[in-house]
Amino acid sequence: MALKKSNTTAPDEAQSSQRDCSEISQDLISEDPSKRRWAARDIVSCEHASVMLLDQLEAEKDISVKQIILSSLTQIGDTEAVNGLVRCLRTEDVSLRNEAIEAMKHLPQEVASIMASLLNDPDPDVRIFAVNILESLCHPDVEQWLIDVIRDDEHINVCATAVDLLGEVGSEQSEPALQALKERFTDEPYIQFAADLAIKRIIGS
Amino acid sequence: MNVLIVDDASTVRMYHRNVLEAAGYVVDEAVNGLEALEKALENTFDLYIVDINMPKMDGYEFLMQLRSEDIDQAPAIMVSTEAAELDHTKAFTAGANLYMVKPIKPLQMMTYVRLLVGEESV
Repeated sequence: MALKKSNTTAPDEAQSSQRDCSEISQDLISEDPSKRRWAARDIVSCEHASVMLLDQLEAEKDISVKQIILSSLTQIGDTEAVNGLVRCLRTEDVSLRNEAIEAMKHLPQEVASIMASLLNDPDPDVRIFAVNILESLCHPDVEQWLIDVIRDDEHINVCATAVDLLGEVGSEQSEPALQALKERFTDEPYIQFAADLAIKRIIGS
Repeated sequence: MNVLIVDDASTVRMYHRNVLEAAGYVVDEAVNGLEALEKALENTFDLYIVDINMPKMDGYEFLMQLRSEDIDQAPAIMVSTEAAELDHTKAFTAGANLYMVKPIKPLQMMTYVRLLVGEESV
């Protein structure tokens, strides 16, 4: 018997490219998750899409819809979308927070413009998440941002997160800052270990 | 004694591995909750050391599935950069036996590890 690939699109889920934005925005708040999923995807070209997506993201319970909302926000990538993703960094919902971090990694230019403020946020957790975003952010300033963090940030875990990454992306210009970090946290075995490892990797490469 | 370290940061995994191996423990690693669940299904561990913030599956979700699916009831230490009371509560609700704030000093880690695996008593 020949194997037949199943059709994953149910007839009632069929997306109509002809729908207007008001219909899509209604579907985005529908009780039917499949309608919300399609609407979250189709709304990208509508006016004020980011605002509507962010409103729904706060209320959304269905994980697959949430993922599509985040993917659409990444696709739109306007100021509203980026600010909304930043708000996700402050949520207690760990999976949403992690998904927002992953989404922001795909917006290097947009995130770069707010990175300095994220790295100076009063909340150390937000600063740690900002360093996490730098992990895959293809931007020429990544190394300098990390050097600034380990030189100036007083929170040990923000520095620890930055050191991990410097070991992967750092060059010889990071070494003085790594040595200075070791002197700032002489009683912290983890910082000593991570900074030594980063220096070894940098010199080795 | 077999320990599974679950953390997306390679430096953290390496640091914890060094501390545990120096004390004679056998260590395995997973980079997120999903990989940890797969390893827990295939192997027997005496202890889990689990980070909270990880991509694909976070530490809370991993521990909840580990316990609720009855994959393993071995002790688990949840480690995080967050010291808030809410995080402690969420960790214990998920199935952690202990919550520690990073960075962890080797002596502190080994004291709690030995207590949890029953090698030392209070």
